[in-house]
Amino acid sequence: MTVLLWILAALALPLVIAALWFTGVFVKELFSPSPPGPDATALAAERLGLLPAERQDTEHAAPPPAAWSAALTAARSGDWAPAAELLRAGGRDWERRSTLTAELGTLAAEEDGWLLAWEAARPDDPDAAVVRAQSTVRLAWDLRGARQARYTSREQFEGFGRMLSAAREEIARAAELNPEDPTPYVVEIWVALGLGCSHAEMDELWERITSRDPYHYGAHYAALQYWCAKWRGSKELAFDFARRAAERAPVGSLLTVLPLIARFEHDETTDVAADSTPEMLALVDAGLADAAACAASDPDRPGLAQLRHLLAYYLHLQDRHEAALEQFRLVDGHVDALPWNYRGEDAAAYYCRVRNETVRMAAEAV
Amino acid sequence: MGATLRALRALVLLLGFYLLSLVLLAVLVGVDVVAFRWGHGPAMLKLGFVTVLLAVPVVQGMFMLRTPKGEDGPGIDVTEAAEPRLWALVREVAAAAGTRAPDRIRLTGEVNAAVSEDPRLLGLLPGPRRLYLGVPLLTGLTEARLRAVLAHEYGHFTGGDTRLSALVVRGRVQLGRVIEQFHERADGKVAAERAKQEQARARRVARGKKAKQVDTSGSGATYRMMAAVYTQYAKLYLRASLSTARGQEFAADQVAARIAGRDTMAATLREIPVLSVSHGFYLDSYATLGLGARLLPPRGEFFGGFGALLAARAEELEGLRARLPEEPASPYDSHPPIAERVRRIEALPADGRADEATGPALALLTDPARTLAALEDAVLTDEVVRYGRAPGWPELLNASMASGLSTAQTPLHQALAARTGQPATLAALLEVVDAGGLWQLAEQLPLSAEAKSARGRAFREFARPVLRRSLRTMVLAEFSARSLLSWDFSWSEPAAVRLPGALPAAADGDGRSSQESPHESSEKSLEAALDAALADHPDTTALRALLPSAPQPA
Repeated sequence: MTVLLWILAALALPLVIAALWFTGVFVKELFSPSPPGPDATALAAERLGLLPAERQDTEHAAPPPAAWSAALTAARSGDWAPAAELLRAGGRDWERRSTLTAELGTLAAEEDGWLLAWEAARPDDPDAAVVRAQSTVRLAWDLRGARQARYTSREQFEGFGRMLSAAREEIARAAELNPEDPTPYVVEIWVALGLGCSHAEMDELWERITSRDPYHYGAHYAALQYWCAKWRGSKELAFDFARRAAERAPVGSLLTVLPLIARFEHDETTDVAADSTPEMLALVDAGLADAAACAASDPDRPGLAQLRHLLAYYLHLQDRHEAALEQFRLVDGHVDALPWNYRGEDAAAYYCRVRNETVRMAAEAV
Repeated sequence: MGATLRALRALVLLLGFYLLSLVLLAVLVGVDVVAFRWGHGPAMLKLGFVTVLLAVPVVQGMFMLRTPKGEDGPGIDVTEAAEPRLWALVREVAAAAGTRAPDRIRLTGEVNAAVSEDPRLLGLLPGPRRLYLGVPLLTGLTEARLRAVLAHEYGHFTGGDTRLSALVVRGRVQLGRVIEQFHERADGKVAAERAKQEQARARRVARGKKAKQVDTSGSGATYRMMAAVYTQYAKLYLRASLSTARGQEFAADQVAARIAGRDTMAATLREIPVLSVSHGFYLDSYATLGLGARLLPPRGEFFGGFGALLAARAEELEGLRARLPEEPASPYDSHPPIAERVRRIEALPADGRADEATGPALALLTDPARTLAALEDAVLTDEVVRYGRAPGWPELLNASMASGLSTAQTPLHQALAARTGQPATLAALLEVVDAGGLWQLAEQLPLSAEAKSARGRAFREFARPVLRRSLRTMVLAEFSARSLLSWDFSWSEPAAVRLPGALPAAADGDGRSSQESPHESSEKSLEAALDAALADHPDTTALRALLPSAPQPA
């Protein structure tokens, strides 16, 4: 009997040791997971000079001009003069003016001491006025947060509504001080979207914008959001708006991105075949031609990077990996763009996953 | 399922209740037997004690089926001699429904009418009948509609219901009652009450004497456990009998429509949820307004004011009537949704009888004012009845608001007290603001998670509404303490504050101020001063200028 027990014990011992070891590993992994080893595709991407997720800039879609970065840094430390000079010198380049205003407005939505100083020094400066309006709208969206309505508290909605209403007066003032500038009205689209203004009001606002700048990229981007089903329009209205704008615009104006955005915003299928229909192939081809024309005439144009990001995404989905990789290489390093930035914190990781997959498929195809 | 089977099922279910109780007792006894055989010492004694504790509610539950005496809700019994017209109406409707009239009528303070019987032999034999009639119903319903309500209640007892399906009704009512009793004992009412403010507690006590003595001595958990067991059984019981129950409600509605007329019954069904909601609002916002200040409305007005509210808000109520509840109050509610009941009544062929719009049924009473006063004494707790009486509603409002303001503890009070270690005062707050400490102080406010994680301007925008509400209260309290405030009382609008008329105009006062009433311009000055004091770079000058003999900065 005793012998039998000894034999059993001898047999059980390795089992117990193994169980302990597994438990130990499990607990260790649970509390401090070891970093996943760099997989082959990531290494391949790195060999191509593409950056890992942690080195991707999630604040911009493309590298901002050095002068802009300098002006923002100066403003952050309280010196508004470089920003004021940049906006003044920009003149009637509305596209860039709107983009720079958005950057400055975002900064002023955090702290606006520098902007107050600017306003105090130059009371009727139209540039300060437009940044003021933009910053209040930006602050409204900061208060609301980016989550869906049902995850947004009443307090957040109240702050959102209060700020948007306050912004209306500031927008009117900015428009009055610089009547030709579409930027205040572009800002107003985000107010109309947030407050749920009627389609008639939106049409009126749109008329003001297009009479000042018919192919303004930022305005079209914002207006398309308004017409999306999740905001104040519907899938049909959004598709219709995007198609008409893209058809009307000359090649190189980047508005071919609109049908792609409309499609992305209303994409509910998981079926990849839907992305490779002749119609989708044609939309992507038009986008490629548009991007090439824009790159030839004005490679730093705001909006070009966003178009390329979406092109890369859809080219990947269409199994056109070689072409996708080309777009990825042109935008790599800055990922604050659709489709990635809808993933919030995971934007860079998501971008890298799709890009690395593209690298792998492209290498296999060769 | 035939009527016989239904009746049999009802009987089995009712007996099952006793079986459940006996099984529970047997389990407890079994535990004790086991413990006494193998256990020893204090542990065994403790176990014995716990089982006895658990057994008490079970035994009580078995005997609770006999409606305990003196368990009537608070109210006043009215004799036939005192209220001949009410009794005549009650008898007339009972006769029309073909059932025995009640033996007692009890007027209550609730928006409800009910007929009950003291059951005999485990609820198998009928006993004396009582009619409970809520005085708010008398206030809100016309005489014709009151007839419809009574006819519906009697409809449950007419020959249309077989004797044994009356058993279903009784079993359901009684099971509900047992569970209610358990919950009343076990409910965290005590804990919740402690957490709530003095005022809220006083309100509940004022509603009825019922919730006063709540047992907190650790037996709550056992009660709760028993309640859970019985609730499970009741769910089974109700699921089994629900369709019957709802069918009986429809049947009772038909009886009522026959007696009171189709249109009157439909109008009554529409009216009752409206009265119920309005009365709840009336109690919260008007009747119990002064409890925090230990003050009651004039005698007879605690329930009497309801009529004035209904009259003043007639238009608003019209909107409520249009929206009938489509869902039953709970899956176990024996009543079908009101909307469905109204649809069925309105689908009946017209009987040519209009919904006669006579005066309120309250006029049936011999002396409504005296009855309303007597009802107060019966329904309010002894403590509350001894509270002072305001001479009128406007005085009640003023006194209550003054008292509320003087004891207000806003989030800002709390943050300030935590910072300075002193009781929070407006003077102390203004000093902190002048010293540039406003936004630091704001970080100590109880704020939402979103506000707490915000920085810079976003944080200030989150905190500002909280600060503003608090600061406004503190400033109003300052005015109130010097008797400079008054409030506009209205039956149809929320109370509005009336600032002292002669506040100095705001620093940036515009040219139109001359055309405004002094009250409006005071309001404007105050708002502007609050805005300035809570700006990103606060400036309290305007606010200090408004305050009566404000403390000057050192």
